[in-house]
Amino acid sequence: MKVQYQPQPQNSLNTFILFFIIHSIQVGIGVQGFQRIIFFEAKQDAWISVVLAGIFTHLVVMVMIKTLQLYGPADIYGIHDEVYGKWIGKFVNSIYIIYCLWVFMTILMNYIEVMQTWVFQTVPTWLFSASILLLVIYGVTGGIRVIVGACFFSVILSVWMLGLIGYPFRFLDYSHLLPVMESNITSILKGTYKMTLTIIGFEILYVIYPFLKEKGKVTKFAHLGIAGTNVLYLLLMLLTIVYFSPGQLENTIWATLSLFKVIKLPFIERTEYVAVSFWLLIILPNLMLYLWSAHQGVKRTFKLKSNGLVWFFSLIIFLGSLFIDTRIKINQFNDFFASIAFYLTFCYPFLLYILALIKKKMTTLKEK
Amino acid sequence: MFFNKKLFLPKINLPSMDKDLIPATRELMSAEFKKRLQDSADILESEIGISGITLFSISTLIDKTMLHQDIIDPIKNKSFDSVQKIKEDLSIGEMEESTQMEKVVNSALDGNVIIYLEGNSSVLLVKIPSQVGRSVTFAQNESLVIGPQMAFTESLKTNLTLIRNYIKDISLCIEEIKVGARTNKTVSLIYINGIVSEQMVGTLRKRIQELKIDGILDSSMLEQLLSENSLSIFPQTALTERPDRVSDSLLKGKLAIFVDGSSLAIVCPQSFMEFFHSMEDSNVNWQIATFLRLLRFTALFLSVFFTSIYVAALTFHYEIIPQTLLFTLSESRAKVPFPPLIEALLLEFIIELLREAGARLPVKVGQTMGIVGGIVIGTAAVQAGFTSNILIIIISLGALSSFVTPSYTMGNVIRILRFPLIILAGFWGFYGIMYGFCFLLLHLLRQTSLGTPYLAPFYPPRLADWKDSIIRLPLSFTNKRPNQTRAEDVYKYDPVKAKKHK
Repeated sequence: MKVQYQPQPQNSLNTFILFFIIHSIQVGIGVQGFQRIIFFEAKQDAWISVVLAGIFTHLVVMVMIKTLQLYGPADIYGIHDEVYGKWIGKFVNSIYIIYCLWVFMTILMNYIEVMQTWVFQTVPTWLFSASILLLVIYGVTGGIRVIVGACFFSVILSVWMLGLIGYPFRFLDYSHLLPVMESNITSILKGTYKMTLTIIGFEILYVIYPFLKEKGKVTKFAHLGIAGTNVLYLLLMLLTIVYFSPGQLENTIWATLSLFKVIKLPFIERTEYVAVSFWLLIILPNLMLYLWSAHQGVKRTFKLKSNGLVWFFSLIIFLGSLFIDTRIKINQFNDFFASIAFYLTFCYPFLLYILALIKKKMTTLKEK
Repeated sequence: MFFNKKLFLPKINLPSMDKDLIPATRELMSAEFKKRLQDSADILESEIGISGITLFSISTLIDKTMLHQDIIDPIKNKSFDSVQKIKEDLSIGEMEESTQMEKVVNSALDGNVIIYLEGNSSVLLVKIPSQVGRSVTFAQNESLVIGPQMAFTESLKTNLTLIRNYIKDISLCIEEIKVGARTNKTVSLIYINGIVSEQMVGTLRKRIQELKIDGILDSSMLEQLLSENSLSIFPQTALTERPDRVSDSLLKGKLAIFVDGSSLAIVCPQSFMEFFHSMEDSNVNWQIATFLRLLRFTALFLSVFFTSIYVAALTFHYEIIPQTLLFTLSESRAKVPFPPLIEALLLEFIIELLREAGARLPVKVGQTMGIVGGIVIGTAAVQAGFTSNILIIIISLGALSSFVTPSYTMGNVIRILRFPLIILAGFWGFYGIMYGFCFLLLHLLRQTSLGTPYLAPFYPPRLADWKDSIIRLPLSFTNKRPNQTRAEDVYKYDPVKAKKHK
């Protein structure tokens, strides 16, 4: 397998769309209720955890881009193959593919749980997962352009939600933020660690990099996308801390959705019903991008190329979704996943970069 | 895929391919001509003059007055020894000599008179087609308040004349392609060379040439055959009856297709947004045009989603309706025995019935429809407790909005889209509506029109083209042709010069 990957010209994308890709894949299911988890660790300093997590993300993305630039238009599957050799490379690629499907599963399960809690208590899980999977398959089989189009519209069409978030502003109590830095550094860092599930997604850069037209602009738009997400998260975190009292927040699982609850317009109340349903459009690009990158992985690693694969993956996820049906199971699933995701998305890029550097050095030495 | 592989083979006993020569004697010629045209009753064979000139033609396809005045009159009293001599005596523009029998027969089908002179190896073909058809009239389906009122007719020649009158440019290209094994229709492909993308012309030309069909009767049929995804409900090319619209599209770098005998032109590539543009938008001030376009997009949203939101809210999400509004709603629904889904579907169905009946009825009985629809169904249904007043308002608002769409084909699509959305809303509430919306979004993202993205200029985002999409900025701002047409000549006019003249 070649390290470099050159997609067909009709599939290449303008680089500025990377902003929408990264922003839309990062903002997904986690944003509905990340505040409480971090608040448990860092109390009123939770916003510092969010800032730290954001800074750390910028750092990781920088390393990622550096790694990709070592080989020109390469993706993670090619780099693995180059760094680890044929067989271990295939093994590591398989792990990455499974990871992508795992994220898919996590997003899907959490969304279904939200739907069942807030809107339809009695509708069974399989109905939701089957219907959403069909939608995802329809998008993924359309190719990368359709997926990225969905990312774009998902961001553009959800901007109105940000306007509604401003509604609780009249009920704020800024004293909730004080005293600053009461929690110790360990708790704040623990809070940062807990941000993993909410902030991941930018690793899509590893797969989508060859598809971008102007490689020089990648750094700019990747960081812009992440910055956009960070600002959004920080805003939400601050708003949540000052809106809810500490005791209230500890009992609010989906704080963002609860913020929607207070919105009262002359023709509509309880906007969270609309918001929860609308979230389908927000998670749709996440699901499609992860399924696509798993598909891309199999295509690159095992030279299989068929849309049947998309159906196969979906079937596995569908069957998997049947087993995880209670809140406790979903929580366990999330926690287990978060620890893996932390190592894979936040620590692994550094390791891969060092390995790739060494490999590159060795090959150049050999050639001499 | 499976269907496409069954290639269509025309089972027609076409005249044998050996292009045999013109028979030497009059009797042979007559026999051959009649044989090839299946001894048709309307074959006209007449011997005139003193030198044995014989005219062959299909009497139903030629202009009798011209035949008498311009052909028979000048030659009946003279003697000729060759076809060339006859040619000199006739005062008709379209004349041609031919030595091949096949061509002779085909030209007879095109409205030619064949002048045969015994002893000559060639015949003279004189074109005097009969003029059947109507004159240019007002545009009926795409009427404007401000702007030209002419519409295309069924005559290809008239239509091309109209276009030529709008664009007096040497680089306007008109290509002719014959389509249909039996109907043998002339299809004209029109574009402006130097603006249009060569690649698109090539693709479209190939697509038309590769059509294997016994006959097309109208351009709307050709449109369906040419569309890239025939399973999609959305039209991928535009049909228009307005010459100014076609000219405007040509100037943007698009292609137009005319079919002989059809009063509609096909324009492609066409994006989803452009179905909501009217020619009037360019004829009025930009502020007004922007307002009208925003109005149309609001109407689009209302007509597709309004009824389903009502159904979803009343079936599952009572909580989202504010108290004061809920009171009015429940009061008006108190007597209704059906669930909202059935109620909405019933009323939508009635509205569709009214619309379809209105379209099929003769104009004279049309007024009855208004009375039946408005008074009998509208008022009586509410008083009988079949539907609620509020639903009637919502549904008629949706129906009204769907008629705002300037394109009739797109208006139909919008009306039909409501039904699956209402059903989804009835089953799954807001989740169902969102599901339908996401599906529509993905579906639209997957469509292409002549290889260009259907959702242009929104996706892929071309900010420069947003100036003339959901809004319309002043004409002086839009000096570029839309990116979607991949025009070879990007600028409509020189932006620097235009600034100087401000």
